[in-house]
Amino acid sequence: MSRQTTSVGSSCLDLWREKNDRLVRQAKVAQNSDLTLRRRQLAQDALEGLRGLLHSLQGLPAAVPVLPLELTVICNFIILRASLAQGFTEDQAQDIQRGLERVLETQEQQGPRLEQGLRELWDSALRASCLLPELLSALHRLAGLQAALWLSADRLGDLALLLETLNDSQSGASEDLLLLLKTWSPPSEELDAPLTLQDAQGLKDVLLTAFAYRRGLQELITGNPEKALSSLHEVASGPCPRPVLVQVYTALGSCHRKMGNPQRALLYLVAALKEGSAWGPPLLEASKLYQQLGDTTAELESLELLVEALNVPYSSKSPQFLIEVELLLPPPDLASPLHCGTQSQAKHILASRCLQTGRAEDAAEHYLDLLALLLDSSEPRFSPPPSPPGPCMPEVFLEAAVALIQAGRAQDALTLCEELLSRTSSLLPKMSRLWEDARKGTKELPYCPLWVSATHLLQGQAWVQLGAQKVAISEFSRCLELLFRATPEEKEKGAASNCEQGCKSDVALQQLRAAALISRGLEWVASGQDTKALQDFLLGVQMCPGNGDTYFHLLQTLKRLDRRDEATALWWRLEAQTKGPQEDATWSLPLYLESYLSWIRPSDRDAFLEEFRTSLPKSCDL
Amino acid sequence: MPLALLSPLPSIKDSSISSPNTFRAALATERIEELTPGAAPESVYPNTQYQTSPLSWGQSPPQPQSGGRSGRLHVVLCAPAGAPGPHDVCPTSKPCFAALPLDSPSRVSGLSGLQIGFLNGGRRTGGGVPWSFTCQWCAWFPLSSGRGGGVLAGPSMGVLWSTSRDDRDSEDGDQPSPVIPVDPDACILPDAALCAFTVLDSVLVTLVQGPARWKMQLFEQPCPGEDPRPGGQIGEVELSTYTPPAGVPGKPAAPHFLPVLCCVSPSGSRVPCDLLGGPGGFTLEDALFGLLFGADATLLQSPVVLCGLPDGQLCCVILKALVTSRSAPGDPNALVKILHHLEEPVIFIGALKTEPQAAEAAENFLPDEDVHSDCLVALGHHGRMLAIKASWDESGKLVPELREYCLPGPVLCAACGAGGRVYHSTPSDLCVVDLSRGSTLLGPEQPEEGPGGLPPMLHPASLNICSVVSLSASPRTHEGGTKLLALSAKGRLMTCSLDLDSEIPGPARMTTESAGRKIKELLSGIGNISERVSFLKKAVDQRNKALTSLNEAMNVSCALLSSGTGPRPISCTTSTTWSRLQTQDMLMATCVLENSSSFSLDQGWTLCIQVLTSSCALDLDSACSAITYTIPVDQLGPGARREVTLPLGPGENGGLDLPVTVSCTLFYSLREVVGGALAPSDSEDPFLDECPSDVLPEQEGVCLPLSRHTVDMLQCLRFPGLAPPHTRAPSPLGPTRDPVATFLETCREPGSQPAGPASLRAEFLPPSVASIKVSAELLRAALKDGHSGVPLCCATLQWLLAENAAVDVVRARALSSIQGVAPDGADVHLIVREVAMTDLCPAGPIQAVEIQVESSSLADICRAHHAVVGRMQTMVTEQAAQGSSAPDLRVQYLRQIHANHETLLREVQTLRDRLCTEDEASSCATAQRLLQVYRQLRHPSLILL
Repeated sequence: MSRQTTSVGSSCLDLWREKNDRLVRQAKVAQNSDLTLRRRQLAQDALEGLRGLLHSLQGLPAAVPVLPLELTVICNFIILRASLAQGFTEDQAQDIQRGLERVLETQEQQGPRLEQGLRELWDSALRASCLLPELLSALHRLAGLQAALWLSADRLGDLALLLETLNDSQSGASEDLLLLLKTWSPPSEELDAPLTLQDAQGLKDVLLTAFAYRRGLQELITGNPEKALSSLHEVASGPCPRPVLVQVYTALGSCHRKMGNPQRALLYLVAALKEGSAWGPPLLEASKLYQQLGDTTAELESLELLVEALNVPYSSKSPQFLIEVELLLPPPDLASPLHCGTQSQAKHILASRCLQTGRAEDAAEHYLDLLALLLDSSEPRFSPPPSPPGPCMPEVFLEAAVALIQAGRAQDALTLCEELLSRTSSLLPKMSRLWEDARKGTKELPYCPLWVSATHLLQGQAWVQLGAQKVAISEFSRCLELLFRATPEEKEKGAASNCEQGCKSDVALQQLRAAALISRGLEWVASGQDTKALQDFLLGVQMCPGNGDTYFHLLQTLKRLDRRDEATALWWRLEAQTKGPQEDATWSLPLYLESYLSWIRPSDRDAFLEEFRTSLPKSCDL
Repeated sequence: MPLALLSPLPSIKDSSISSPNTFRAALATERIEELTPGAAPESVYPNTQYQTSPLSWGQSPPQPQSGGRSGRLHVVLCAPAGAPGPHDVCPTSKPCFAALPLDSPSRVSGLSGLQIGFLNGGRRTGGGVPWSFTCQWCAWFPLSSGRGGGVLAGPSMGVLWSTSRDDRDSEDGDQPSPVIPVDPDACILPDAALCAFTVLDSVLVTLVQGPARWKMQLFEQPCPGEDPRPGGQIGEVELSTYTPPAGVPGKPAAPHFLPVLCCVSPSGSRVPCDLLGGPGGFTLEDALFGLLFGADATLLQSPVVLCGLPDGQLCCVILKALVTSRSAPGDPNALVKILHHLEEPVIFIGALKTEPQAAEAAENFLPDEDVHSDCLVALGHHGRMLAIKASWDESGKLVPELREYCLPGPVLCAACGAGGRVYHSTPSDLCVVDLSRGSTLLGPEQPEEGPGGLPPMLHPASLNICSVVSLSASPRTHEGGTKLLALSAKGRLMTCSLDLDSEIPGPARMTTESAGRKIKELLSGIGNISERVSFLKKAVDQRNKALTSLNEAMNVSCALLSSGTGPRPISCTTSTTWSRLQTQDMLMATCVLENSSSFSLDQGWTLCIQVLTSSCALDLDSACSAITYTIPVDQLGPGARREVTLPLGPGENGGLDLPVTVSCTLFYSLREVVGGALAPSDSEDPFLDECPSDVLPEQEGVCLPLSRHTVDMLQCLRFPGLAPPHTRAPSPLGPTRDPVATFLETCREPGSQPAGPASLRAEFLPPSVASIKVSAELLRAALKDGHSGVPLCCATLQWLLAENAAVDVVRARALSSIQGVAPDGADVHLIVREVAMTDLCPAGPIQAVEIQVESSSLADICRAHHAVVGRMQTMVTEQAAQGSSAPDLRVQYLRQIHANHETLLREVQTLRDRLCTEDEASSCATAQRLLQVYRQLRHPSLILL
């Protein structure tokens, strides 16, 4: 009886085996096909075929002679499915579990295993495999898949235990996972075994690379460049696919930069650039490196290259029908050095760096390019804005306006500001109605986003540059009007919430008020109305006691008006403030505000203070 | 039928529904085409093939519209994976359906020229597309004449993108082509996890069900010449996690509900309107747009993809921000913003124009000017509706005004129409609600506050269309009406023309008086509805009953027709008796209907008994006096029997034209059973009205013959002489006695010669005699059962009179001759005796039985002879069938007899011919001779061996 079934089983076994081999060959043919569609279709067909085969295999009671084939088919199925879907799902875990249960079925361990988890199942199955040496190789392959699944799901504890069981070591979980992976030696495949898409040794290599790389990146992101370095070296020295190698070199460069080895970092970055087509991350990393080194020219050059590189659309190579390293990597992190952003983000970095380094002309051009890129819808390719954590879109506009003013293109700046206001006019409070309400006696003005006030401020400054004092003063007044009604606690929820999240808006509000007051005061000074200027500066000191420039302008005006006592009192206050703990008030300010503040910062401040100080003892003596 | 070219819709005038609180709607649904591609055999689509044509999508500039093509409303229909076919569309996998008015809105007035092509799933003959359609059906629609393009959805929810139509189209004019061209290099996204998609300008936005999260992906249009692989992915972001449906552990099966995607663009967007017009694409007013999607989207004037997920989340992604790459992944927290949580599966997202004055102004705009919606609407499966508008608070600040309403659910689909109306369909009805500002009569004391103001309550009005699974509303037409394009669950595509009354009675301010009236109206409405419900219930019951009855009838018919030779399950036996009715003796036939089957004969069954007299039976051409009795069989259960007695005669003229044939049939009246259920007893009912009266077949019923019985003379003979003495006195001597004769008889002196016609006849007209000889052997063989031990003559007589009531007496007295009375009163004498035939057989004399019939009435003797001969015939055929061998006969003698008979017959023939031509005098002689010849023919008689 049993003899008969065996003979039938063996002939069926041959059929099934042939089918498996054929499907695997089909998948490999698909792999090499150039046509995306055809390739995908072939792979899908193969997947369905494998599913059907698995179905028929598992429809029969588990038998030891069939099990190696069955496990192989499970492995092939999982590999193809995961690589087609570019990720693991719960389904694959269940497929593995089913395979293990089938192994245990032959061992007549019926009762308790239903309650067993995957880990216990693995224990039992591997223990059983000691009795069934023919299963060993297939089981190891399945274990490799299980390891990949757990690695991608970040279940490292389970993974370690599984590897220990595989290695037959009893040392406990304290052992290093990397070491465990290295010591795992899957049995070599028999020559006449059914075809597989990926053998256990290949899985082991992929696992090793992916694990080391994951760890290295993690350490790098959490700020442990030394630890990251060793892991990453591990990856770079092992068998590693090219795209991954580029990333590893970039990460190594980043490590060395953070550890203060600019030369070695540079070497790695050059290697990364040589290695592959993904130039973005190494270029960005290089620009950071040059910035750290203070080589602005090189920094801007690499940023320009970055913009160019990102202009080339990212062409991902079609994935292999294998478990690849990329499949096991965590989704790219914004904080990782491998995140280079999009073209417009790079362009923004370039433009803002130009602005920060005082290359106003270049900055203005880059900003205009960026805006064209973002707003011109005739451009077939969408370009995303420099989304958070970068500045919000209105701030990009303001930065552009600042750059234009600094480059002496006041008229262009005015146009830009108008554009900004017109585009967002629907979001702004209804002024006409407000004026009506104001006449009726309603006092409250609506809260305006900060950038609306800032726009008016910049408009004023542009008018100043154009020499239209009156218009400038009215713009400043408008800005102040909006600013003083603004209550920063009542933050907007809808329109501009993500806009002001990045910077401390109350600090920015204070600085903005100070800047507007100083600007208007300066205009009053220029038009000879010192009293009015004095009022503004006084108000500025009251509103924003942290801003030293206001003190200075007030001091200067007081001196000019020859109000010495007040000036002296003020000077002492200023002196006390500078001696106290210097808080860095400007670190969180938006770039446009920072640049603006630098304009109204008097250039001869220290000389004037020095002169004032020298004049002081005299007055004291008196 | 793969293609249906629609004729322009007839304009429908306001006609039907008019009630105080519903829309006055001239609602006309026209069936466009039954979508049954799933059921069609392959041969129906011989022409379906894929054709190669250059990829022209999106590249060639829009060509000027030719005159005949303007005003076309383009429609995209698509079905999700594994759509079970249009016939059982369930809410889980409904086709989505959207109208794309590509021409200027003013010209999309008519739905004429709508061309719909259906591609049956699973077939490809051209072999160009390496993809087999696994979904049941999908549809294709031309987007415009100049630009090939369209969205063909269906293959396992993959998207065929940029299918272009070949140029033949323009040459053929509007000739609908059954060929659905699909570029072999069309963009296909073979992704089984694809759940929803929308197209925006040059970008395809898809929503994919990832392993654990929804994933939104952006694909770029392939340039001509480029490899059109769908790998041009330009962005991807993961949305919220989805919870797999409970009960299926670990198996991410197809979601119960599919997500909804739509594109929203700001009014200032430079993206041309028609390119935005993907399914569900719309333009929002700037204030609302900025409020919902933030300053960045407004400033960039970026379209936004709105996504309604089955778990109720309503989230948005700014499209320009989504453009990321693999190396620059989008941060879901930054890119995806959750607008609202509806807490039930989102079925529909749409936008409306609710400001009436603006809408009016918009009508005065140039036709190209599109109207920007100012209200965003999302509808959940259970009927929760969210409406968002922008409004300004007291300080002039822009604030969203959110309002949730509860509509009747479960919602299958919805559409936004002009004038702030939202149409939504439930399995039982299609409702419309009005969100426009003008419809709400806010109290005058309520201050006008800004542009906000959503109605506090919605009052759904029914349109009386049920089970619409996909819906699209055309923009307002010039007449002010709205046209709806609806796809019903049964796969029927309808256009509905709505002429909504402009002054829709909203929640008017109630006065006591109006409240009372309103309540009255509502009550009467309830009454109407309940009446209608009961009526419909009755109709359903009736139909059920009719169906049951039909089924029973079917069983009965089968049983009767297929029973073959065996005993029939339902039988009818006929017997005759004499009985006295009033002053007259009548021959009564008794038919017994016996139901030995397992079915019962109920309503609808009739027993028909047809009585045919001999003259009719012989003379088939004449419409004779056959009498048909119909007796309704009322409830004849299994095993029951019914007896029916009916008079056969003699009739008023005293004659009984024997033999009489009684045939019984069962008749099943279809009209009686089915007619009642189908008859439109309530003419106002639309459901029953559509049942045409000619549903009934030509034949009104089913006829099942049961039995046929012949009543002849031998059965009708009466034997007064055999009756017991005490009953002899009122012996019936004939039906009617001549009163004069009676008088004469009583007057007659005893002993004198009997007077009267009878005695005269006896004296002058010797009784006619007819005889028939049968071989004794034959008779013995025929009569052997039941007659053993009885002399052959007696047995023969008994056999002859077997069906007569007197047979018992005959048997008891062992009579071999008998004197009887015919129904008309004449004597009939039957004599049976044994004779020996010497001349026939060389082997010796043959024993034979001679049956002699004597009667004074020639007619009666004929009838009796006929009856005897009839029995003999049956007997002989039966015996012949048993194959008894004839004795050795003297053939010469037989031949002689035969020759004699033949000469006699010839003479009869000539005499009869002469009788027709001769005059009266000679005819008398001829008749005499004829009678003589007949006598000769009968008397030496036939010998049956």
